Amino acid sequence: MLALEGLTKHFGGVQALQDLNLKVSKGSIMGLIGPNGSGKSTTVNLICGVFGITRGRILFDGEDISRVPTHLRLSQGIARTFQNIRLFGQLTVWQNLWVAQNAPEQKHGEPFLRRWFGGSRRAQAQVQGLLEFAGLAHKAQEQASNLSFGEQRRLELARALASQPKLLLLDEPAAGMNMEEINDLKQRVLALRAEGKTILLVEHVMELVMGVTDQIAVLDFGRKIAQGSPAEVQQNPQVREAYLGTQAR
Amino acid sequence: MSDYLIGVLSNIGMIAFLALSAYVLLVTGSISFGQQAYFAISAYGSGIATAMWGWPLWLGMLWGAALAGLAAALVAVPTARLHGLYFAVATLAFAEMVRLLLQMLTWQIDVDGTLIGPMGSEGFREIRYIYAHDISAVQFMLLIYGLLGLVVGGLTLMERTRLGLALRMIGEDEIPAEALGVNVAACKIFAAALSGIIAGIGGALYAHLITYIEPALFNVMLGVHGLAYGLIGGLGTAVGPLLGVVLDIGFLESVRAFAGYRMIVFGGLVALLLIVRPRGLLDEVTVHRIVRRLIRSDHVAH
Repeated sequence: MLALEGLTKHFGGVQALQDLNLKVSKGSIMGLIGPNGSGKSTTVNLICGVFGITRGRILFDGEDISRVPTHLRLSQGIARTFQNIRLFGQLTVWQNLWVAQNAPEQKHGEPFLRRWFGGSRRAQAQVQGLLEFAGLAHKAQEQASNLSFGEQRRLELARALASQPKLLLLDEPAAGMNMEEINDLKQRVLALRAEGKTILLVEHVMELVMGVTDQIAVLDFGRKIAQGSPAEVQQNPQVREAYLGTQAR
Repeated sequence: MSDYLIGVLSNIGMIAFLALSAYVLLVTGSISFGQQAYFAISAYGSGIATAMWGWPLWLGMLWGAALAGLAAALVAVPTARLHGLYFAVATLAFAEMVRLLLQMLTWQIDVDGTLIGPMGSEGFREIRYIYAHDISAVQFMLLIYGLLGLVVGGLTLMERTRLGLALRMIGEDEIPAEALGVNVAACKIFAAALSGIIAGIGGALYAHLITYIEPALFNVMLGVHGLAYGLIGGLGTAVGPLLGVVLDIGFLESVRAFAGYRMIVFGGLVALLLIVRPRGLLDEVTVHRIVRRLIRSDHVAH
């Protein structure tokens, strides 16, 4: 479904990502782990088009999307959440979801004016469904900045799902969560896979990564140093070295 | 109604267009110091159309506002990628360019025996349409407020649509807005064109009420005022900038107690508000609270 081929990103002299090859198959959950600064978020940002790529290409459903403008990648079926939550605090919970529902309306062939100035009943019903998914139906008219941290995380996930994506990029969704919240998130992620979504999960929290992923790729200094099932990756000496340093062996 | 009151109210109405044009860009996250340019372009454009070409007022105003909108859209193409200070300086530079070009613009033609047209820095006299057609000051004031009502109503409706929400999203944070499928560059150009048209309506009204315009009127202070009105009145609703204009022109200028000190008081007011209420009196939180209260009392009434 998603294939990164020789993906490379330089920021000036900094080589943030070097020649990354990665295939994520349909309906699977791929974990992306690595120490801070290893290129995980850069990978997500390249797939979403926040940064232009230096070399290599991104294939999505067999199509080269490396040059697709950022705002069109959502209607291709790629949605994301952000490492540090980036909601629109001035807008209400409902409004945050409402704009995100625009991409599926485009897919359903709603005319331009209707999409931007009106909006269908189906879209309204779907926003209602998302509110219930996120457990925020009673707070629909609340400003997003008034939500608690956990609620904001749930809203951001719902917002990413609003576009009905095929591929979901989760950038450290468990950061700052307690065990209870992580377990809740784990259930949600597994439920999404059951629905057939493909997920790329960038995460530091091992309880989550090891619990839900089918495959894990490990980055270190912008290079992929290992890939395999959670059990294989845990046994890999290079991975242990990257995380713990040579002394720990 | 006394002539003085009509004069003040007309002034408030015309400057409100400038404030609203700056507001549209502020909501989208851009601080423009150049909205006076579009005010000027339309003032000159519509004045030339009615006084020199003999066009009717409505067509002249349409033409002036369209010119201003087009100019604003053209400026937005290269500046849409600029943020903060860089955008502010670019728009200021453009506005000064327009003002200096108008100082060089000398083009007069013979209309019924008199030479009429812009005379460089000496200005453009005899934009006499409303006097030639016996439109009274009250009628013109009603025209100003009719158009203002349309603009405020239109903006308020637009802000409830996905397009309006997308503009606010861009104002808050561009990267997630783009990740949610909003074409940020196109939206910014749209917002700029809209702001140019709104400033243009004000400029056309201004030229025809005052009958005499000169480039020096459209200096940066005019733009700074337009910008400050939104910041004082609030960015939560299109009514905010109107409140700002009313506070400044309606209150500070009319209450003669401040005569001569108006700009000092105004400057202090802007500084104070930016510190205690950075998004103005009617900011998003306040507007949201008011709207919710209205909805709730509506529910009770039913």
